[in-house]
Amino acid sequence: MSTPVPGTVAAGGPVAGDAAPLVAEGVTLAYDGADVVHDLTLAVPRASFTVVIGPNGCGKSTLLRALARTLRPRSGRVLLEGRPIDGLRPKEVARRLALLPQSPVTPEAITVADLVARGRYPHQRLLRPWSASDAVAVAEAMAATEVADLAARPVADLSGGQRQRVWLAMALAQGTDLLLLDEPTTYLDIAHGVEVMDLLARLHDEGRTLVAVLHDLNQAARYATHLVAMRDGRVVAQGAPEDVVTETLVHEVFGLACRVVPDPETGTPLVVPRRRARG
Amino acid sequence: MSVLARPAPPGSVAPLQRPGGAGRRRSVVVVAAGVAVTLATAFASLLLGRLGLTPGEVLDVLGGGGTRIQRWAVLTDRLPRVAVGALAGAAFAVAGALLQSVTRNPLGSPDVIGLGSGAAAGAAAAGLVWPGIVPVPVGALLGAAVAVAAVWLGTGRGFAAPLRMVVAGIAVGAMALALVELALARASREDALDIATWIHGSLAARGREDVAVVGLALLVLLPLALALSRPLAAVEMGDDVATGLGVPPGRTRGLGVVLAVALTGSAVSVAGPVAFVALTAPQIARRLTGATGPGVGAAAAVGAAVLVLADQVAQRAVPGTPYPVGVVTGALGGVYLALLLVREWRRSAA
Ligand SMILES: Nc1ncnc2c1ncn2[C@@H]1O[C@H](COP(=O)(O)OP(=O)(O)OP(=O)(O)O)[C@@H](O)[C@H]1O
Ligand SMILES: [Mg+2]
Repeated sequence: MSTPVPGTVAAGGPVAGDAAPLVAEGVTLAYDGADVVHDLTLAVPRASFTVVIGPNGCGKSTLLRALARTLRPRSGRVLLEGRPIDGLRPKEVARRLALLPQSPVTPEAITVADLVARGRYPHQRLLRPWSASDAVAVAEAMAATEVADLAARPVADLSGGQRQRVWLAMALAQGTDLLLLDEPTTYLDIAHGVEVMDLLARLHDEGRTLVAVLHDLNQAARYATHLVAMRDGRVVAQGAPEDVVTETLVHEVFGLACRVVPDPETGTPLVVPRRRARG
Repeated sequence: MSVLARPAPPGSVAPLQRPGGAGRRRSVVVVAAGVAVTLATAFASLLLGRLGLTPGEVLDVLGGGGTRIQRWAVLTDRLPRVAVGALAGAAFAVAGALLQSVTRNPLGSPDVIGLGSGAAAGAAAAGLVWPGIVPVPVGALLGAAVAVAAVWLGTGRGFAAPLRMVVAGIAVGAMALALVELALARASREDALDIATWIHGSLAARGREDVAVVGLALLVLLPLALALSRPLAAVEMGDDVATGLGVPPGRTRGLGVVLAVALTGSAVSVAGPVAFVALTAPQIARRLTGATGPGVGAAAAVGAAVLVLADQVAQRAVPGTPYPVGVVTGALGGVYLALLLVREWRRSAA
């Protein structure tokens, strides 16, 4: 797939050179009282493939939701292209930033093509609901995620992996520069998982900025250009995968004893858990 | 559905057709069919009655001719009745479509969760208990708003728990109807008789001012509801997805509830709390169109057709004994509601 998804260049607005397009500034995030993320600051480098790792419940999804302004910080703020994201018009944000949440709700009886088409909402107006560029974006998003064959099928009838790719297609159809993905490979078998990661890498090569939450450390180390390790609602380490994925850090973050060796395929760090001592 | 779309040839840019075209075309057909059925029924209703008229005579009257008695029968007696029926049916159905979408549940309809009864209590209070303070339609509106607030608070989880919502709605509805009974008991005898038919939902003795109330309400609220369809469809996919698409979920839901309350209030103030049109019409429309989302337009057309048809059945099923239309819709909708509840029960028990 060599054709880029259209509408990727943020239209208008001051795009501040190399400055981080998305920044969390001292955000504290909470649900009903209990703080989950504490005074966290994170700048997503422009054109990076930023991957967030960390144990279950450490606040990765919560952080991603704040970056996508689906969760309002209790304190601190999120800046999109240098401007507070809460002050921007919702559709304007949606033309620059797309989100693939961890557990979206599939509408009853919707077909694949219809679901993907809903990604075009931020580009449409009340009196001009559908245009040729929408059709192109939808077709390309479906082709890129290889769900074009499924276009007429009800989403509810698909396997978990197919459904995941359909939702990814919807986020792609949004045609944004920034793409936030919460566990995009969770339901996928190893081959489809690698396929989706390769697709994301290609989107990154085309110039997009990606932020993904991943559980597979080796995948994270292989694909990330910027790796963020979280624990208990805080950033423990960030930087190039080679600098972040170390035996000490994996032990500190996940409490796992392991060896880190070079990936024979790419040279990136490969985490190999140590054999549990037999008692 | 077993038909697979042809895969796009590699490298080509796929067809420039709008996805969901089939659903949309069927929606247009359903709207057209609903309008046609409504108009045909309306025309038939102008012919039928104690004073039987030929189509020629009715057309004559509509064209400005006819005898005094013919003019009275058509223009004063029958036309307002069927017009109120069509408009109120559409208003109920759109309210149902909106609220079912907001609650993401077919049970979340105004008549099931006590909104209609609340509107009736408000109307009775405004018309009988404290007459002259607010107009009856405004009373109905306030009653519906109080009822929806009571249900929202009563579930403890807003509209997120369908079965709790139904239970809270039944409680709120029962309390509202008790208030109506109270108003009835205090009313003069002839007022009470009027109210007693109206409380089942009735289109008897409707006048032009009733047509104006619900007509104006629809004129304002239907375009707003249509405009809210797509944002509501986005919110059906979860708050995160909706926000990601640039749709503020809280505000969208709030607007949906406000529109549903206003539509229900205006319809109840002219037709009484007609049972289950709001529950069934949007679902019938959905089945017919196969489209996703609230389906406001198709629901409106189906709701109008359902209510005018039901009113004809109510008037003519037992010759010489006209029933309030709510008796017919109540009987039909009750069966459907029972089926829905059984399904919901199984699902939440599983
Ligand atoms: N909607 C919610 N309401 C209340 N608490 C929540 C909600 N969502 C998450 N939490 C809590 O916030 C904490 C962080 O959750 P979060 O979903 O961000 O974790 P995560 O790092 O994404 O975990 P996982 O790897 O399992 O997806 C958890 O303790 C969780 O219980
Ligand atoms: Mg998560």
